[in-house]
Amino acid sequence: MLKVLKDIVEDIGGGVLFMREVLAVALFYPCSFRSISEQIVKVTEQSWFTTAVAGFFVGAIMTVQFTMQVQQFGALGYLGGLATSGTIREVGPLLIAFMLSGKVGAFTSAELGTMRVTEQIDAVRCLGANPIQEIILPRWVGIVCSSFFLLAVGLLMSIGGGLLMGLYFSGISAQEYLRHIPTIVTSFSIFSGLFKCLVFAMVLASICTYKGYTASGGARGVGKAVVNTAVATMVAIVIADWVTSVFSEVALRIYMGE
Amino acid sequence: MIRFEGVKKSFGTKEVLKGITFSIAKGEILFILGTSGTGKSVLLKNLVGLMRPTSGKIWINDQEVSSLTEQEYLAVRKKCGMVFQHPALFDSLSIFENVAFGLRRHWPNLSESEVESRVKECLNLVHLNGIETKLPQEISYGMQKRVSLARTLAVGPEILLFDEPTTGLDPITTNAVNQLILELSRRLQTTSIVVSHDMHCALDIADRIIVLDQGHIVEQGNVEHLKKSPHPLVRDFLEEALSAEGA
Repeated sequence: MLKVLKDIVEDIGGGVLFMREVLAVALFYPCSFRSISEQIVKVTEQSWFTTAVAGFFVGAIMTVQFTMQVQQFGALGYLGGLATSGTIREVGPLLIAFMLSGKVGAFTSAELGTMRVTEQIDAVRCLGANPIQEIILPRWVGIVCSSFFLLAVGLLMSIGGGLLMGLYFSGISAQEYLRHIPTIVTSFSIFSGLFKCLVFAMVLASICTYKGYTASGGARGVGKAVVNTAVATMVAIVIADWVTSVFSEVALRIYMGE
Repeated sequence: MIRFEGVKKSFGTKEVLKGITFSIAKGEILFILGTSGTGKSVLLKNLVGLMRPTSGKIWINDQEVSSLTEQEYLAVRKKCGMVFQHPALFDSLSIFENVAFGLRRHWPNLSESEVESRVKECLNLVHLNGIETKLPQEISYGMQKRVSLARTLAVGPEILLFDEPTTGLDPITTNAVNQLILELSRRLQTTSIVVSHDMHCALDIADRIIVLDQGHIVEQGNVEHLKKSPHPLVRDFLEEALSAEGA
């Protein structure tokens, strides 16, 4: 038990030191725009379809679930607003981030881990370059930018999925479904959802680059790094979700003057 | 030219190098032999600054390097090139870009035509021509190893470090790589340290051999001296080499 706790604390400490190094490199030795844009294109190309499909079905699930609840009160007119609000503020970012952690996180961790165990990262250092600047920073920025974009796209798709379910499962018109979205989904809800997307993207990018960069022990070590990335990312995203939810609520109360 | 003084290296509670002391003269080819896990690669990585000694000092050309910062080490790595156990080529870059990688970082003022001519020259040195546009996965493992050597040579190092350069190669390619090490060391007047467990190739090309066991140097000297050594590990290595030769 104590050993597990010690390992977790060491892991978090290692991650914090790693991110401090990444931040220092970002400030003093920034990487090229070209290398960042290459990563953005790569990650977006790999994941846009999965994210869009996931987003679409998240919206559809939410509508199905809310239909059963609101139908009892004869309030189907509020279905679109409630389902969309729940999706954008909470369920959408969370589930799509889980999807991305499996896709982008595992891929990046495996890629960096392989580079580590086949001594490519050592070779970069020996050839006069800084691996954080050459390899990690472009990936980190690329993953944050494209994951944020993909999460936002996923949320848009979720509205489409919800609308379709509203039409064919709940039996309400598109006009009725969309009518209460602007009244229930406020600009604050959208901001809250996008803020979560950004935080989740940063959590994902940090964990997968750290786990991949510090992999060791051949193919087995790479496999272990990928598994650890998946587990750590999901746990960290859930914790980040709780933190951002509390933060958003507090911010909303301050904004409303309560 | 290179001097190790009481170098120790530990990983947690495990001490891998237990006070290594030796020196290498300019232009010498030194083989470091030992069984797996005796700290041979750790020794090289300490020299090139990929790891730092737990205690002890390392000197390169009268400069104490073990206490240098990562930024200060860049100048050391310019004259100290390392060829890794794996080819360690960058998968997404062409052979040309792989060889040019270190050149562009260590010599940022070179023009594109100078880079191009240096890359071709280095590929020529390792007897590889016309593969510049290929990706690493499109050439054989032996060729990848030679490209890795060309990439190291491109920077123009005074010291060449080879970490098990013939691991995973067939006997013919092994022989070709060994001859290449000898040829390049003599032709370019570089000091070479070769980490290996191949006594046969050490007997062929080494000026001097160091045998490591359990983090200690148990024997060192030239080929003739090693052949007369009574140390059981050295005898085992020699018997293995002689049986391979007989076969």
